[in-house]
Amino acid sequence: MPPLRSESRHKVAGQGPGILDRGADYRWSPDQRTLHLGGCWTTPTLAHLGELPVMPGPGARTETETGTETGTGTGTGQVSGYPAWLTLDGSLLLALDTAGALQLHRLVEALEAQGSAVQLSGFAAPHLGLLALVRERLAAAAEDLAALRPAATPPVLARVGQGAWERLREGLGLLSFLGETALAFLHVVAHPRRLRWRQMLQVVELDGWRALPVLGMLSFLVGVVIAYQSGVQLRLYGGNLYVVDLVTLTVLRELGPLMTAIVVAGRSGSAYAAQIGTMMVTDEIDALRSIGVSPLELLVLPKALGLILALPLLTVFANLAAVVGGMVMSALMLDLVPGTFIRRIPEAVSLNTLMTGLAKAPVFAAAIALVGCYQGFLVRDGADSVGRHTTTSVVQAIVWVIVIDAAFSVVYSKLGI
Amino acid sequence: MPNTTAPSLASAALPVAMRGIRTCFGAACIHEDLDLDVRPGEILALVGASGCGKSVLLREMILLAHPTAGRVLLFGEEAQDLDESGANRLRRRIGITFQHGALFNSLTVAENIAVPLKEQTRLPAKRIRDIAMLKLLLVGLPPDAATKYPSQLSGGMHKRAALARALAMDPDLLVLDEPGTGLDPVGAGALDDLILGLQDALGLTVVMSTHDLDSLWRVAHRVAFLGRRRILATGTPAELSAREEPELMAFFQGPRGAARSRAWNRA
Repeated sequence: MPPLRSESRHKVAGQGPGILDRGADYRWSPDQRTLHLGGCWTTPTLAHLGELPVMPGPGARTETETGTETGTGTGTGQVSGYPAWLTLDGSLLLALDTAGALQLHRLVEALEAQGSAVQLSGFAAPHLGLLALVRERLAAAAEDLAALRPAATPPVLARVGQGAWERLREGLGLLSFLGETALAFLHVVAHPRRLRWRQMLQVVELDGWRALPVLGMLSFLVGVVIAYQSGVQLRLYGGNLYVVDLVTLTVLRELGPLMTAIVVAGRSGSAYAAQIGTMMVTDEIDALRSIGVSPLELLVLPKALGLILALPLLTVFANLAAVVGGMVMSALMLDLVPGTFIRRIPEAVSLNTLMTGLAKAPVFAAAIALVGCYQGFLVRDGADSVGRHTTTSVVQAIVWVIVIDAAFSVVYSKLGI
Repeated sequence: MPNTTAPSLASAALPVAMRGIRTCFGAACIHEDLDLDVRPGEILALVGASGCGKSVLLREMILLAHPTAGRVLLFGEEAQDLDESGANRLRRRIGITFQHGALFNSLTVAENIAVPLKEQTRLPAKRIRDIAMLKLLLVGLPPDAATKYPSQLSGGMHKRAALARALAMDPDLLVLDEPGTGLDPVGAGALDDLILGLQDALGLTVVMSTHDLDSLWRVAHRVAFLGRRRILATGTPAELSAREEPELMAFFQGPRGAARSRAWNRA
């Protein structure tokens, strides 16, 4: 067993804590052949040292006796004409740690590169030991260190290509994820007992029921805004009543389903990505697999099916709130009493209008759930990966929702609905 | 060499002195009237059954947690009296590795080691890289590990990288929470050697909690046994293995402990 030492070897004991704050410095001897190192050469006190010691200029005072520190190196002084033989004196050194020893080693290297032969004298044995340790470690790894190249940033074109390739692979990955989920779905259809009803209903509660307040408020305000904007125009032509057509048509066909999908993508898609992503980081997904539970069956299908069930219902609610918002605004701005507003609705829209809007909701729901879960499964090692993929899941889900919405518009117009 | 006289606070140079520590979570108290001294330049192993509060005690030592009652003195300074900047000044003198490494996953190994240097000093970036590489070499990692991410490291390399980060500021006190956990015997042995070598070369004071009997016998100058909510006994491994308290008997003379004790006492 190594002997116990009574005190740390490299730090000076018994001089109070203040002594360790004395910065590293050096000063030249009057004949400029000896460099006296002083103070503490420790990590916090090294910052001001330059690579090479500053030579005192001609005629500069170098009275070491009075303690005038003419040579405290602060970088870019006059750096030339080092003596051919130079002694580094360490007898005034108060403390040295590994960073200080490295600094000392680099100092010697730099002086030798300037053509000076450097000799060390007066260093305490522990300080020399530390310097030897640093030199030994650096020498042992010299070959590897020389072979080490900083990772070159690839040229722009290569990065563009790499980025494109990654996007493509991610897209293909999403496609195969869709396929796997569809297979899992078929499997569950064949064995209905395997469907996780509890998880599914939980999704309906968490992502459907609990979204009602925020969704209701947003939709109401959107209804108000549409009524206001169209009311301003319609009033000019005395067509106040047509505000009902505008509000109900835009809300039922487009804005209701779209708003709902966007709110749910932000609320729930991100939560799916974060949940599955965190489970990836903590190996819980692998644990599920090892127990023989398919993560697709336990995590993805209930979310997708639950959301497919919840989103149309949410859309109906959002439609209602938006129409009420439009009705309130019409009453306030256009003096259109609610009774007139409501009687006008059946003339403006049909059940068909409602259904064309509602038909999009399950597709939106599937896209949001799949994108969220897929981004969760892409998480690798670590907290910031979870954050990145959560963000991506929201952005991609909203992009997909709008792309799908556009596709529906094209199809509807071809079908003449 | 082992000193079991009544603890006094006169020796201001003690890296750690804990007095009358009491730690309670709700009604459950895990430390009661606990005293512990860590002497300069020693490797102190903190042992005890799982859940006896070793990690909590270490966290109180490094000012990450506060005891319900009692005094913690670091390098002779009362930790309770310190404001945040004072606590940070003390923390600079303490290097810590956590049970699970706690390397920042989004940074490379070299960047991990550079974090304390960047935050705590005004050294230029080039010098910080130089120092970080030196620390990497000091813990026996190859230079090409510098650009790797923690997820690309093996368990043993991960522990070494965490140790390199703990050494970044050249601390006086190194606190290691279960350093050998999750390593194979060879890897754990190599880590023991590394800790011994660094302690000797850098003149460190080391406090480590451990379950590993081999590492206990091999590395520790002194062992503090945590049991019955206090430090039940301190002394060299050989001394503690000869004690009669049932907890110590179970630890040192149990089925796993007995073989180790015999082998090391013979050696």
